[in-house]
Amino acid sequence: MTPSPGDRVRLTRADVTNEGVLMPSSDETHLVVKLDGGYNVGVDRSDAEVELLERGVRDVGDPGDGDDEADEGSEIDFDDNLPTVALVSTGGTIASTVDYRTGAVTAQFDAEDVLRAVPELAGRANYRGRVVTNILSENMDPEVWRELAETVREEIEAGADGVVVMHGTDTMQFSASALSFVLDTPVPVVFTGSQRSADRPSSDNVMNAVCAVEAAKSDCAEVMVCMHGSPSDDYCALHRGTRVRKNHTSRRDAFETVGAAPLGRVDYGTGEVTVSFADGKEYAERGGTELALAAELDPEVELVKFTPGMDPAALDYLSGKDGVVVEGTGLGHVHTDLIPRLSELVDDGATVVMTSQCIEGRVCDRVYDTGRDLLDAGVVEAGDTLPGTAKVKLMWALANAEEPADAMGRNLAGELTDESAPWT
Amino acid sequence: MTDREYDYEELGLVAGLEIHQQLDTATKLFCGSPTTLREPEEAERTITRYLHPTKSELGEVDEAALEESQVEREFEYLAYDTTCLVEEDDEPPAELDAEALDVAMQIADLLDLTVVDEAQVMRKIVIDGSNTSGFQRSVLLGQEGSIETDDGSVGIEDMMLEEESAKRVEETDEGVRYSLDRLGIPLVEIGTSPDVRSPEQAREAAERIGMLLRSTGKVKRGLGTIRQDVNVSIAEGARVEIKGVQALDDIDDIVATEVGRQAELVEVADELRERDAAVDDPVDASEVFEGTDSGVIAGALDDGGCVMAVGLEGFDGLVGREIAPDRRLGTELSDHAKRHGAGGVFHTDELPAYGVTDAEVAELREAVGAGDDDAVALVADSTEVAEAAIEAVAERAATAVEGVPEETRGANDDGTTRYLRPLPGAARLYPETDVPPVEPDPSAVETPELLTEKAERYADEYGLDAGLAEQVAYGRRMPLFEAVVADGTDPTFAATTLESTVTELRRDGVAVERLTDDQFRGVFALVASGDLAKEGVNEVLTVLAEEPELSPEEAVEEAGLAGVDDEAVREAVAEVVERNADQVEQQGMGAFSALMGEAMDALRGKADGEVVSDALREEIGERS
Repeated sequence: MTPSPGDRVRLTRADVTNEGVLMPSSDETHLVVKLDGGYNVGVDRSDAEVELLERGVRDVGDPGDGDDEADEGSEIDFDDNLPTVALVSTGGTIASTVDYRTGAVTAQFDAEDVLRAVPELAGRANYRGRVVTNILSENMDPEVWRELAETVREEIEAGADGVVVMHGTDTMQFSASALSFVLDTPVPVVFTGSQRSADRPSSDNVMNAVCAVEAAKSDCAEVMVCMHGSPSDDYCALHRGTRVRKNHTSRRDAFETVGAAPLGRVDYGTGEVTVSFADGKEYAERGGTELALAAELDPEVELVKFTPGMDPAALDYLSGKDGVVVEGTGLGHVHTDLIPRLSELVDDGATVVMTSQCIEGRVCDRVYDTGRDLLDAGVVEAGDTLPGTAKVKLMWALANAEEPADAMGRNLAGELTDESAPWT
Repeated sequence: MTDREYDYEELGLVAGLEIHQQLDTATKLFCGSPTTLREPEEAERTITRYLHPTKSELGEVDEAALEESQVEREFEYLAYDTTCLVEEDDEPPAELDAEALDVAMQIADLLDLTVVDEAQVMRKIVIDGSNTSGFQRSVLLGQEGSIETDDGSVGIEDMMLEEESAKRVEETDEGVRYSLDRLGIPLVEIGTSPDVRSPEQAREAAERIGMLLRSTGKVKRGLGTIRQDVNVSIAEGARVEIKGVQALDDIDDIVATEVGRQAELVEVADELRERDAAVDDPVDASEVFEGTDSGVIAGALDDGGCVMAVGLEGFDGLVGREIAPDRRLGTELSDHAKRHGAGGVFHTDELPAYGVTDAEVAELREAVGAGDDDAVALVADSTEVAEAAIEAVAERAATAVEGVPEETRGANDDGTTRYLRPLPGAARLYPETDVPPVEPDPSAVETPELLTEKAERYADEYGLDAGLAEQVAYGRRMPLFEAVVADGTDPTFAATTLESTVTELRRDGVAVERLTDDQFRGVFALVASGDLAKEGVNEVLTVLAEEPELSPEEAVEEAGLAGVDDEAVREAVAEVVERNADQVEQQGMGAFSALMGEAMDALRGKADGEVVSDALREEIGERS
């Protein structure tokens, strides 16, 4: 009999005998056994004598389902005095655990498990849980954005006073942008996630989730991102969904509002969790708009980054696209030799939009010859719209606007500012 | 009782050691930060965090961790210009440090341990804030080794390579402040089998392991860099884990005292059972102490607190019985009360005292219904604390009837121990998925020369006398000694300087601990090149200790010992001879000794003695 993961085994190799529970191994050459002291140790498969002691002493197959308590406690008391917040789950590190087969961290929980994972949420609201998908955010696509938007609309229709979307951090800014464009919302829609996985006691998931729920109860009826505002567990910043960018690979405070101070903040460290908005910041107030959804997106849009030495052939595959967003240099430039190709794309009917890889600041193609040539070729300026946001906006504009090129130059959801004011 | 002799074999003494030793690597175990310790005042930023218990990969929550987290505590971390995002838990860890793995494999080799085929990095949940992540990364690296002692071999169960925790700076109003300088320094944890049978063997085993560790030349030295825990039990006693034995020299005393404590507690238990002892329910005895002269009790009552008392039936005389030097069963009760925030306990075996009168004791006995054979223990504090504390006291007293409780104790400076907490349950560990498993290759590391072998070699090869050889080999400057000898410095001179000279300077109040290895090497190099006389080394080291920013060359300058060439020596010598021309004429070479001293004084250590003596001999020869 070959032992399988979860069986109690004795492995004898040379002078050392190891007894414990066989665990799934990440490679073929080693048997991994969890010793009674808790340590895992890998033993060379070919040299070890394996003895099966007992079958199935531990359930190690699927940590998510293996949890007996998982199905208890889903009765959540309803309190008439509390607002209702919908927790919409899409996957990501805020509710993830260790996957034994790959050894990596993956999403395993539905929205209700989040309540169990984050008991600090209790008593802040009545919760409704929805799962749109359970994927890592790098696997998101426009079809999932559409499903997400429809779910959020349903939840608001069903009476949610605010919506929290739990999302992987990698592409959170894209999904937040998508919802900003497709949805007119009378209540807050707050994206949150975690940079440090939920399987560590130090995870930022607890504070981010608590702050997001408080933001969802607030007066700001916008699509926002709520994530750590500093490396400490002291406050979360509230960013407008179309102006936010993940600016660090791993820090808790990776998310920043580009070109302005954040919309507001949620203070956590003081014991009482309080939401406040920056002085003079205009935001859409709760109930100020009718719920509406224009969820169609044109997926035939590409974002290309120009860098020195770019092979012109890189633009060949753009043939037939409905829209192209260029991330140009400086004020919005590409190599002069590439301009005829962009002109050709415009002539073929594509909307070609210029943004800047400077990230901060707005494009202006009237200053240098290259810019003027680009404008002559029919390229549209996106002002200070962030490149990623511009891609999502163009998808929406192509599917919903009368004049997509014209729409790219107008502010639709806070993505484009009228003037560049110094903010720091 | 302290002078009692115990027959350890008859008592069935079983002891084991757990030794934690920091490694002296260039970088930390999972990041590139240096392993240098900093002063809290040097911190350039602070981070505050909270920790939350999580489930292991098997869906279990650590009960101890859960209990710890019931109170939300705020942890503040001091970060330095040497701190990186990994230590701040804001970046995934790098791979296991190769240098630390090499040193650990050397140690495994010396302890005769078998290195595992595949080392798996685990997370050990620790949520007292001492790790920013909420867990300590730990790797089981070696298994089943042994060391030899005079009383037989002692098995080494296993060795872990793990991260050192952050240093606790102080308690704050909200929680604890930690310093990140120490977090992540590589540490080996070595656990022996329970093979130790006498206090002397415990000490010998610890000394042997310590010597083996230091033989690598790659372990940290100094206070707090090595920590020893001792597990002790006797046949009728219980397993007791004693944490934080600071000095190696204390280990035999600690073990002997613990054996005594357990033996005494066994006798106390026998006596209690004979007396049909029992512990009553605690009662509020505040009324007894209305208007008391006892400052402690009056203070608690005035602040609105109360006096909680518990009747201990059949305990009379036993609560005050000494079970370890200056420690009684009452002290144990007191330790438990302290854990719940009380200042301690009073008990009838020590009363009347502390302002408590005879009459009050009688009234107290009456209040709890205690007779002459009984004892009473009391706690005076705020009601909340007093109630929790007296429960803990009652519980501990009840345990005394059964015998010795299993527990974790802390080592005191005087060789006794105090109660800390219950024994920890099995640690909850789950895989550190951010770090891939490592396949260590023990054949790639060389077996280091043992310190015992080094001492012999220094004597044989370098002609050092045995005492000095051992001093250098076991001393913390051994790697430096080997380096400067390799640089070409005379071994005897190097050894004398690094041991005797440095000790003398320290006694003279020179801050020699500030001298770096590079400074020493620089000074020795100046001697080797003839730019500094051996006689000037003391002064130059003194200057360097006072002004560490100086280079050795600048220090020579500063000490006024710079540049005396042979010509200048001859001139100085000629001057001395001239001044003493009469003596030279009369005594010839007989005047050499007297004039040598004068010449050296004239050159004030700027010139090498041999050069001076050659010049003087020549000069005298010419004149006589």
